[in-house]
Amino acid sequence: MYSYQAFGLAISSEIELPQLIPVNTSDDLSVDVTIEYGKIDKNGLKDPTSKDLYCQSTINHLWLHVPEVAWFEVMNGNKIVVMAETGADLQSIRLFLLGSCMGCILHQRHYLVMHANTIRFGNQCVMFAGASGNGKSTLAAAFHQRGQQILADDVSAINKQGDVTPSYPQIKLWHDAIKQLGIGFSGLNKIRLQVEKYAYPLSDTCFCQQPLPLSAIYLLSSHNEDEFLMEPINGFKKFNPIKNNTYRPKYIKGLELQSVHLKQVGQLAKRIRVTRITRPNRSFQIERLIDFILEDMQSHGMAV
Amino acid sequence: MSAGIFWLASYPKSGNTWMRLFIANLNGEEEEAVDINELYTGSIASGRGWIDDVLGFDIGALSHDEIDQLRPDVYRWSAEQAESLEYHKIHDAYTTLADGRQLIPANATYGVLYLLRNPLDVAISFAHHSNCSIDKAIDNMSNPQFAFCGGTKRLNNQLRQWLLSWSDHVISWVDAAQINRLVVRYEDMVNHPMTTFSKVAGFLELATDENSITQALEHCTIKKLQEQEQEKGFKEKMATSANFFRKGKVGDWQETLSETQIQRIVTDHCQVMQRFGYLDSQGQPLVNPKPIERQSIQQPAFASQG
Repeated sequence: MYSYQAFGLAISSEIELPQLIPVNTSDDLSVDVTIEYGKIDKNGLKDPTSKDLYCQSTINHLWLHVPEVAWFEVMNGNKIVVMAETGADLQSIRLFLLGSCMGCILHQRHYLVMHANTIRFGNQCVMFAGASGNGKSTLAAAFHQRGQQILADDVSAINKQGDVTPSYPQIKLWHDAIKQLGIGFSGLNKIRLQVEKYAYPLSDTCFCQQPLPLSAIYLLSSHNEDEFLMEPINGFKKFNPIKNNTYRPKYIKGLELQSVHLKQVGQLAKRIRVTRITRPNRSFQIERLIDFILEDMQSHGMAV
Repeated sequence: MSAGIFWLASYPKSGNTWMRLFIANLNGEEEEAVDINELYTGSIASGRGWIDDVLGFDIGALSHDEIDQLRPDVYRWSAEQAESLEYHKIHDAYTTLADGRQLIPANATYGVLYLLRNPLDVAISFAHHSNCSIDKAIDNMSNPQFAFCGGTKRLNNQLRQWLLSWSDHVISWVDAAQINRLVVRYEDMVNHPMTTFSKVAGFLELATDENSITQALEHCTIKKLQEQEQEKGFKEKMATSANFFRKGKVGDWQETLSETQIQRIVTDHCQVMQRFGYLDSQGQPLVNPKPIERQSIQQPAFASQG
C-alpha cells in the first residue's frame, strides 16, 4: 500500500498516486481514507435513495460510473473502492479518484467542499470560484508565478475549524494556458494522453502545506464588454453564490447532506467577503486581472 | 401534461435567438417584453454545464470525441427527467457518432424546430458575428469539417459543435426522418409572421390564440430588440462584434455581397438552395423565396407562407 496526505487526511492506497505528497509509512499514523481495488455491481446500489445517469447514492455511500474508465464506490468518508473498465489506463482512473471520489469523501466527512482554487496571502487564503472554463487554474498559475503559494486547484475543502486544507501540489493547465503564461512544456506530463492538458507540479516552497483561514471568495465570470467589474456581494446575498459554487451539489443531495451543507454555507457567508469579478471575454488579460484583484485585497487591508 | 425536449435547431445566424425570444414572450406572464438578458428557454445543447451536471463527474479531462460519446445519454436522461416541455437551442448538425448512435437520439427528442435562412444573408450576418471577412464566412459555410470550439488546446464552456457545411447542416436535420420536426424559413418568419409563428406555436405546444401571438411578436420586433440592446447590451453578443441585433433583413445580400461572392455561395449550395426555394428555375437567387413544395422534405410538417 502507498501512503499519502491530502486535505489533512492520511490516505492509504493500493493505487500509486504520484501527484500526492507521500508520507513515511513508519510514522504511526492512523489511516483516514483507504483506496483499494474491489468488486462493484455494475448495475449500481441495491436500494439507492438517489439514482442519476451514472451516479447513485444512499446516505454515506456513493456509486459512480465513468464510462470507459471505472466504477467507483465511496463510503462513509473513509473508503474508495475501484473497479476498472477493461482497457482503462491508470492515469484516467487517478483523475477521477482524486477529483470526484475525493470530493465525495470530503462531503461525507462534512467538509465544505468548493469548486474553486485557493491561494495563500499572508496568513490567510482566498478562493477563486467560477464555472469550468472561466480560467480559474490559469489564474492560480499566474498567482504562483508572482510568488504566491497555492493551497488547492479545482477542489478546495474547508474543514470544521473553518480553514482551507491543502489539496494536491499541482495545477492542471491546458496547452493554451501554459503558452499564455510562458511556462514551457519541458518536464510537464499530460494528465491523460488523450488531451492537451498538463499537470504543472508545485514544489514544496510553492505549495502551502498548512491549513489557513479563508478570508474571501472571488467569483470569476466574463462578459462581452471591455471593462473589468468588481462587485462586492453583501449580507444574505452571499449565501447563494457560495452554495452555487459548492463542488458537485448532486452528491450533497444524494448523500442527504443538504441541511449540513446549508448550515455550513450560512456560517461561511457570515465571516468572509464575497466579490464578483467580471473580466472582458475578448482576451484573458491575466496581468490586469491580477492587479485588479490585488488592488481590491489591499483596499481590504490584506497582505498581498 | 406533455414533457420532453424540443430542439430549436439551426445553423448560426438563422433566427434562433429571435425564435427563443418569441417563445419566451409567448410563455411570459408579464405584459412587458422579456428582457433580452434574461432569456432562458433552456440550456444550449453544447453547454458544458448541462453535460457536466448530469454526468456527475468532471469532463474537463476528456477529449471532444469522448465527450461526444456521453452526450446522447445525457440528452436521453434529461428528456426522461423533464417535467414539462423544454426548448433547447442547438447549433450542432444532426450527426452520427463513430459507433452509429445519433448525437441527438430520437428518444431524447419530443420534436425539432429547424430554422433555415438564405445562405446569402447568413454569410453577411455570420461574418459580423465572427468578426471575420465575408469571404472567410463563405469559406466556413462551405467547409464540411467546420466546427465551433473544436480546438484541442483548451476547453471552453461550450463543447465542440460540428456544424459541417451550411448545406450539410440543413440536410442533416431536414432529412432526419426518425424525428418529429417542423422546418421553418427565416424569410417566412419575416414576410408572413402571423401564419408562420402560429404554426410554430402549434407545433411547440404553446399558446396559439391570435392575441398571444401578436403580442409576443410585438415584443420582439427587430426594432425593439435593437432598442433593448442599445440600452443595456446583450450578453449573447460576441465581444468582437459591434451589436447582435443588426438588420434582420431579408435580401441584404443584394446590397452587400459582390457578384463573385453571390456566385460562390450559389455554386457551393445550389442543390439545397434550389430545394428550399432560394433559387429560381434558372438557378438565379431570389430575394423572396418560392413557396416550398411538400416533397422537399421527407414527411415532416412544414410551415411556409401557405
